[in-house]
Amino acid sequence: MSDADIIQGLQKDLGAKALELTNPDRRRIFLKVAPADLVAAVTLLRDRYDCAHLATISGVDKGETFEILYHFASRAANINVRTEVPKAAPRVATICPVIPGAILYERELQDMFGLVVDGIPDARPLVTPDDWPAGNFPLRKDWKYERPEEKIPGGKP
Amino acid sequence: MAALRTLLSILVYPGILFLFFYSTFCEWFDRKAYARLQNRMGPTHTGRFGLLQPIADFVKLLSKEDVVPDAADRQMFNALPVVGLAIVSTAALLLPVWNFDLAVPSLTSFSGDIIVLLYLLSLPTLVMFLAAWSSTNLFSTVGGARVLTMLFGYEVPLFLSVLSPAILANSWRLAEIAAFYQRRPLLILPNLLGFFVAVVAVQAKLERTPFDIPHAETEIVGGTFTEYSGKKLALFRLMLDVELVVSSGLLATVFLAGFPGGALLGFLQFVVKTLFVIFLLALLRALTSRIRIDQVVTFAWRVLAPLAVLQLLVVILLKGFLK
Amino acid sequence: MKFQIPIGPQHPALKEPISLRMTVEGEVIRDADIRLGYNHRGLEKLAEEKSFLQDIYLTERICGICSHSHATCFVQGVEKLMELAPPKRGMYIRYLVSELERVHSHLLWLGVAGHEAGFDSFFMYTWRDREIVMDLLEMISGNRVHYAINTIGGVRRDLDEGQKAKILEGTATLRARSEYYFHIGASEPSFVARIAGVGRLTKEQAETLCAVGPTARASGITRDVRKEDPYAVYDEMDFEVGTADSCDVLGRVVVRVKELLESYKIIEQIVRKLPEGPIVVKAPRKAKPGEVVSRYEAPRGENIHYIKSNGSEKPERLKVRAPTLANYPATVEMLRNGFIADIPLIFAAIDPCICCAERAVTLVDVRSGEEAIVRLSDLRRRAAERGPNAVLKRNAPWPL
Repeated sequence: MSDADIIQGLQKDLGAKALELTNPDRRRIFLKVAPADLVAAVTLLRDRYDCAHLATISGVDKGETFEILYHFASRAANINVRTEVPKAAPRVATICPVIPGAILYERELQDMFGLVVDGIPDARPLVTPDDWPAGNFPLRKDWKYERPEEKIPGGKP
Repeated sequence: MAALRTLLSILVYPGILFLFFYSTFCEWFDRKAYARLQNRMGPTHTGRFGLLQPIADFVKLLSKEDVVPDAADRQMFNALPVVGLAIVSTAALLLPVWNFDLAVPSLTSFSGDIIVLLYLLSLPTLVMFLAAWSSTNLFSTVGGARVLTMLFGYEVPLFLSVLSPAILANSWRLAEIAAFYQRRPLLILPNLLGFFVAVVAVQAKLERTPFDIPHAETEIVGGTFTEYSGKKLALFRLMLDVELVVSSGLLATVFLAGFPGGALLGFLQFVVKTLFVIFLLALLRALTSRIRIDQVVTFAWRVLAPLAVLQLLVVILLKGFLK
Repeated sequence: MKFQIPIGPQHPALKEPISLRMTVEGEVIRDADIRLGYNHRGLEKLAEEKSFLQDIYLTERICGICSHSHATCFVQGVEKLMELAPPKRGMYIRYLVSELERVHSHLLWLGVAGHEAGFDSFFMYTWRDREIVMDLLEMISGNRVHYAINTIGGVRRDLDEGQKAKILEGTATLRARSEYYFHIGASEPSFVARIAGVGRLTKEQAETLCAVGPTARASGITRDVRKEDPYAVYDEMDFEVGTADSCDVLGRVVVRVKELLESYKIIEQIVRKLPEGPIVVKAPRKAKPGEVVSRYEAPRGENIHYIKSNGSEKPERLKVRAPTLANYPATVEMLRNGFIADIPLIFAAIDPCICCAERAVTLVDVRSGEEAIVRLSDLRRRAAERGPNAVLKRNAPWPL
């Protein structure tokens, strides 16, 4: 399946749901959907476009919104699905029922950006330590690192 | 005079000092052979050819901090290394190098001393188990349990295979067995099967690959010695080295016709023959991978014990034939 | 049977971070949970504050063994953003180092697998051969690890005829030795019995859990980024993707040895076909606004970098997903219904990149809820103690 075929197929199957469909480079396809259509689009990709393999999920802080990219790899091309959620209401649906391997990436989104993934099977933080102060989301653009006061367990106060 | 002689005998030769130097030399030889088989250098820098490396390790361990766990049985924990070393050193006295007179049985060479030697060689296993038990660390206890489980595997083949040449030689005295095979060297050949069974069983007794399950890691010597450190660990390691010397000495006496030739030549033969056995043990260590505990026991009972019994059968038939 | 290991007097809980938490019933693992983050260095945040050129050095230090993979994946992406076409000779040299790194990494892993299984002689031999590769890499780049040979637009050092001859010579020696290891792996019964049947991951599980690299290829999934998404010079090279069907640790050993042999082929082709010309093309300081997805086949699997630029000289966002992270859900699945004694071997079989450190494992008894922490080295010791499944492993066939 060439890139053009994939784009035609996606346009036909998704219709209006595909807000934006670009092919910036050979084998790279970027598809934008609304957050409500995310799970449907992912299911379609998995079933009809050989996208069972999710490479990773990236989050980007764009100031007013969060952009979440789901990078899928089919044998024909890399299809990247993006969706945008406002920072004021950072919620996105989980795709774990469709792609079980997405769990760790979604947990990382929760840790690093403060996104809330609805319906995630396991909501524990992934990469932040146990004593991480709540409300600190490192990958947000407005989060600056301040070195915390060094406390030695059992040492001098 | 006799008291002085005995004291010299205990402290110098064939006592502590001789055993210390000779066993560390054997450890060096084993480590060097193992390393060369793996295309490595082995001990190289300490002393010429790295000969002083085991002694350096011993001295270093002596200087380390000695930690005794709170919950451990203090007296047993402290006494066991010394007891273990004493046991194997006593066993070394029984090797017939040149401190015996064939005609006159003495304290170090008497009828039945092969049985005493085998008995003294199984005691270190018990010592290791007690060391593990008294550590009250569950990891050591598991290691100790594994040590005993292995004992059930290799002890019977070892006994059977070592006793076969004794039966052929018609004697229970190590010196006489050696003398018998010196007179009729061709009779060493029927005992070769027993020799190989004994080598494998000794490898299991010394807990070396492929039978090193009780302390399976090279990073942390776990198992029975987990809680030991400093002087006690140094003594335990020395005990293992001396056990190596005694076991290879036993095999050399019984299977390779002992150490004839008087003082100097006999001693030289002792060195050469024990080093040959140690070389076989190092070869076995380098060529195989670790096997599991249940496989040790099944291997011992399905392969080693029948071979040892076969050896015994061969010896009995040969004995009848020779008469 | 209740399973309890008390916290030892050395209090490993205070020294080592908890990374695996398993619910056990007797000797069987019912569930496993991965806790990450103790090696998290915040590199993605840091990358936003450094320029593209400085970020090459940052990405290279994500890992020691696959340092070149991360740097190359990043540089590939940035070159696309800046619309640069590096010269052929530079590309060839860059991917020559990639293949040498793959050889080095697989030899290292074979040694580690041998050591975990108790086969120390195998460990010593493979690491001796690794020295040949490291000498070659030192000759090319000046370093044994962290080769620092990439720059935006090409590579920093050139190859001459003498070096090319040495590389071919080294590859020939290594090929003979790797074939010997293939043979040992097939015919050493204690080694095969130890690793066959351990860590099963069926093909369907590997697909749904998005496993990558040799872990997936050992379950029969023929996916290799070099073949399906050929980047740079790989569409000009003739090689095959190594797979195995046994879905266990033995299959992973087979796959990695096959990859070793294929890498030697690729290295020889690269060196023989090395074109003349410059090795680098000048790169601008700023990248045009845009985004790029860059994929690379690291020794451990698929490495993916997503780079977004906003027209300045610093990236807007760099997202790195190392292959080991993708294999963690698959590891959890492999551990389920496995034996506690197999934990070290299964974990080593995915070739964890941030490894070598001691890790503690927490075991939770499913009935009593009691927890106990045990060290990985002690687990390895227990790995010699097998249960009734020993028969299963002894009779497993060699998947050639």
